[in-house]
Amino acid sequence: MVLIFGGAYQGKLEYTLDNFGLSEGDVYRCGENTELDLSFKVLYGLENFVMGCVKAGIEAGELLSEYGDSLTDKIIIVTDISQGIVPMDPKERSWREMTGRTMVYLGRRADRVIRVFCGLGREIKG
Amino acid sequence: MNIFISGGCKNGKSYHAQELARDMARENSLPLYYLATMIPTDEEDRARIRRHLSERDGWGFETIEQGRNICEVLTGSTLSGEKVSPEGVFLLDSVTALLSNEMFLPDGFMDESAGERLAAELADFAAKTGNTVFVSDYIYSDARTFDRYTESYRRALALIDRTLAALCDRVIEVSYGFKYLYK
Repeated sequence: MVLIFGGAYQGKLEYTLDNFGLSEGDVYRCGENTELDLSFKVLYGLENFVMGCVKAGIEAGELLSEYGDSLTDKIIIVTDISQGIVPMDPKERSWREMTGRTMVYLGRRADRVIRVFCGLGREIKG
Repeated sequence: MNIFISGGCKNGKSYHAQELARDMARENSLPLYYLATMIPTDEEDRARIRRHLSERDGWGFETIEQGRNICEVLTGSTLSGEKVSPEGVFLLDSVTALLSNEMFLPDGFMDESAGERLAAELADFAAKTGNTVFVSDYIYSDARTFDRYTESYRRALALIDRTLAALCDRVIEVSYGFKYLYK
């Protein structure tokens, strides 16, 4: 598994497609629900899936662990939302915290972790 | 060498950028310019400018004031009336302030095209000078979607950052005084 993260608008998806020789057709765009389509190579916008989990009252990491080994060949892209102001809205606070926990969980499982900064990648694990 | 520096607020970006610009000018015996981008609107702004000027005192910077249309600098003059040499070393601190000036106009109008225009202007500026240190701000890790104005601004600044990071010879993230070299 490869985990790719970075702030908003940093060019994470473009970086992934360019560096892994993939195209838009390989990308599953996560919605604010608890569904993932594992027929795609890239799971993009996992923070939306986390928001879906918050709304459903499920811990995202636990749901992801149920997928087991079927995630090992995936590239997961998450927006890092951990470094700003603590949101006023309790649901946004839960979202921010659950996204952090989920990234720690995925970072531990991933073979490679890459941070994208202004379109440039930095391998922090692998 | 063109250099791009970004990172969080009050992490030491400006200080590091000043060191790099000064060293580059010394090593190559070039004039050293500071591009002052703030357009003062009140006494608080003017006090901030006086503080910044005194903080740079002794570093050898010639100040150039330019809040919009940055490439006009290259055919203009410094604050002390000297003609600007495009071969000099320029410190642009900050891209963030420049975008605010270009995007949020005094009449309250927001120019949605400012990001693309400024990205192209700064790419041009980098190509023409070859020795510019650009300082930006990393404002992309909030856990919320802002209002339309703020979100447009974040998107525009990110476009400029990605453009400059791609073309600069060196890209540095400053994090609490620590530096990470992406390039």
